[in-house]
Amino acid sequence: MKKIAKTINVSEIAERENSLVKEIFSPLSGMKLTMSRMVQNLTGQVSPTINYPEERRSYSDRYRGAHILTAREDGTPRCVACYMCATACPADCIYIEPKEHPDPHIEKQAARFEIDMLRCVFCGFCVDACPEEAIIMSRETEITAFSRGETMWDLVRLMKRPELKEFGMGYRPNETLVDSQVMFVPTEKVQKKMAGRITLKEDVEMIPNVTYKVQDDEKQ
Amino acid sequence: MPKITIDDLEIEAKDGQTVIQAALEHGLDIPHYCYHPDLPIDGNCRMCLVEVEKMPKLTPSCTTVCGEGMKVTTNNERVKMAVRGVLEFLLINHPVDCPVCDQAGECRLQDYYMVYGLHTSEIAMDMKVHKRKVVDLGEMVVLDQERCVLCSRCIRFFDHVTGTGEMQFFGRGDHTVIGTIDDRPLDNPYSGNVVDICPVGALTSRDFRFKCRVWFLNSTDSVCGGCSTGCNVRVDHRDGNLFRLLPRRNIEVNKSWLCDEGRLSFHELENGERLHRPMVKGEDGMQAPVKWSDALRAIDVNLKDCRQAFGANAILGLASASATNEALFLFKEYLKEQIGTAQLEFRLDHEDQKVTEKEDDILRHTDKRPNSMGAIKLDLMSRDLNGLDGALAAARDGRLKAGVIIWFKPLVRRDGDEQIEAKVAELINALQYSVVFTTHKTTWLKDANVVLPVTAWSEEEGTYTNYQGRVQKIGRAIRPKGDALPLWEAFAMLLETSGSKRLWLSAAEVFAGMSETIPAYQGIALEQTRLPGALVTA
Ligand code: SF4
Ligand code: SF4
Ligand code: SF4
Ligand code: SF4
Ligand code: FES
Repeated sequence: MKKIAKTINVSEIAERENSLVKEIFSPLSGMKLTMSRMVQNLTGQVSPTINYPEERRSYSDRYRGAHILTAREDGTPRCVACYMCATACPADCIYIEPKEHPDPHIEKQAARFEIDMLRCVFCGFCVDACPEEAIIMSRETEITAFSRGETMWDLVRLMKRPELKEFGMGYRPNETLVDSQVMFVPTEKVQKKMAGRITLKEDVEMIPNVTYKVQDDEKQ
Repeated sequence: MPKITIDDLEIEAKDGQTVIQAALEHGLDIPHYCYHPDLPIDGNCRMCLVEVEKMPKLTPSCTTVCGEGMKVTTNNERVKMAVRGVLEFLLINHPVDCPVCDQAGECRLQDYYMVYGLHTSEIAMDMKVHKRKVVDLGEMVVLDQERCVLCSRCIRFFDHVTGTGEMQFFGRGDHTVIGTIDDRPLDNPYSGNVVDICPVGALTSRDFRFKCRVWFLNSTDSVCGGCSTGCNVRVDHRDGNLFRLLPRRNIEVNKSWLCDEGRLSFHELENGERLHRPMVKGEDGMQAPVKWSDALRAIDVNLKDCRQAFGANAILGLASASATNEALFLFKEYLKEQIGTAQLEFRLDHEDQKVTEKEDDILRHTDKRPNSMGAIKLDLMSRDLNGLDGALAAARDGRLKAGVIIWFKPLVRRDGDEQIEAKVAELINALQYSVVFTTHKTTWLKDANVVLPVTAWSEEEGTYTNYQGRVQKIGRAIRPKGDALPLWEAFAMLLETSGSKRLWLSAAEVFAGMSETIPAYQGIALEQTRLPGALVTA
């Protein structure tokens, strides 16, 4: 006997299951979910979103945001224009021009130092390469601007960073090795309302200086 | 010819050769600071210690002469420990300025530290003996006494090569410093060489100071365009800009040296504005930019008209001994074979006599053109005119009507250059029709009927023939800006426009053609013009 393959009429089943009752109640079951979520949100039980920019998330103190150029005690840049950062940079976005430093024991300094923030991939290689702790990173993430020219951050822009009191300092692995200063960052701890996925509307303390410590035997 | 064995490699050393010389010649590296192939041996740094079989102690390879059957070991543990010890001593008081030191990247201390050292310094930074930094030693050199490893190469250079003896050690022990008496500036014409021979960053270049970190640079082998000596140079460049010239060792020509003027000669190319477009003078007497092909067609037609009206010998061809052999050869091909003139000249100022005239006993010659011998061998010397003065006289009294003129400004300046340039300007003024191939804009170019932009030194390939008759290859380091073409290419296109059957497609092809036709170059292949160069037949 010839075997006949079994066929299923899909639309028939669909029609059978699509009863009138279900047709009436299915929107209501969807609405139930929506309403319960709304109640949960309103009562503050669950909230995946925050009120940016009034509220900001707290990033790790090793966060790699916009760069900072550090200064010597007299306020001049620490950078000696050694081009280590420019050599290490995979995005080729650091431009440096050197000049003579009046002190022969320092000898060289940067006359121009520019980072193209649109090209930068925030890998932090420049920070790792720098032998002078002249370049470190902040937790600043907002580098938007009205023109492309403004996204080229120059020496002054990279050094004087009043906005850092909001964001705090970022990746800075060699802090304990070299005595470098950061210009225009208030030293008192900044209190700021922060939000996170779990800790909703809790007060989170921002730490303006990094606590990453290098082990003694690593120092050499 | 003693046979020696260095690390399993059997070498036949030359008589009187030291172990390090034999090793370096056969591609084996022995670390060294004080040994330099073109300086007398001193043996003070002890970096070159090797083990010789049956010798109780390690011995410096730079002072040990090869003996028959010697067995030398350069890389066993005992030698490595000794070299590491020497290096550690040398670094005791070293400031480790690498971030600001221009030598970084080509520094022997850095290189050998990575191979032999890798030790942790026992000396804290504040225990080090400090010496003077950024000492100004004149136009060419900046001294940093802290970085010196006291190898005395610089002292030996000034004692034995220039004989001026400016540099000396002062003090004793840890406090020994290198310097000149009362910091007197080094004012001899070869002082830049100590920057190259200093194995560390103690002597660095004033001119190259902070210009570029060396690992960003690209290098091209070439020959200096500063005078008829034809010193071999390495051109360091980046992104289309020249940064420095360094000597390339050629024992037959310049050993390891370069004169200061030659070393800085490339800056002359940066003086003045470059010519970017071919310009042809229109009916209104004003020059207007045109395409190369249009300019060349106009030249060919006008020169042939002139030949018809006044005869071929009313056309002058004034070449320049700063042009390559290839360019001069095609210049001659065009003017002699296509136009038919015999009035070919290159002598602006008696270059045929000055080409072998020494300016001093080290390198320099008074002829400040790199290829005068090439022009002589191509016989660009009209008996009739006898130089620029003759050409000028002939143009003034109407014997010459038209001229094809190649003008390169000299890269090394001497008194009298202005007068020569003025004469060329006058010549162009006196001619009814003039075509000028040149690199830079000058005021007198407005008098020419056609002005064509050509590439300058370092922008084209070719060969120069130096005062000895040594053909040497020059390389193209950077690209010219604008529409400038290499001179040989301009003449190759002119030949094509004029209906010549043979096409020239590369500088190498032109050289091959030249060695076929010109007796002096017979049998010389382009490959032979690399180090140490090929001698033309007299
Ligand atoms: S973070 Fe990375 S990409 Fe950005 S400047 Fe530094 S090295 Fe370059
Ligand atoms: S920032 Fe640091 S690595 Fe970059 S040039 Fe300056 S000193 Fe060198
Ligand atoms: S001489 Fe060499 S090791 Fe010393 S600072 Fe300069 S680059 Fe560094
Ligand atoms: S300055 Fe340089 S070449 Fe002269 S002794 Fe010191 S290390 Fe040697
Ligand atoms: S190279 Fe032999 S002792 Fe310096």
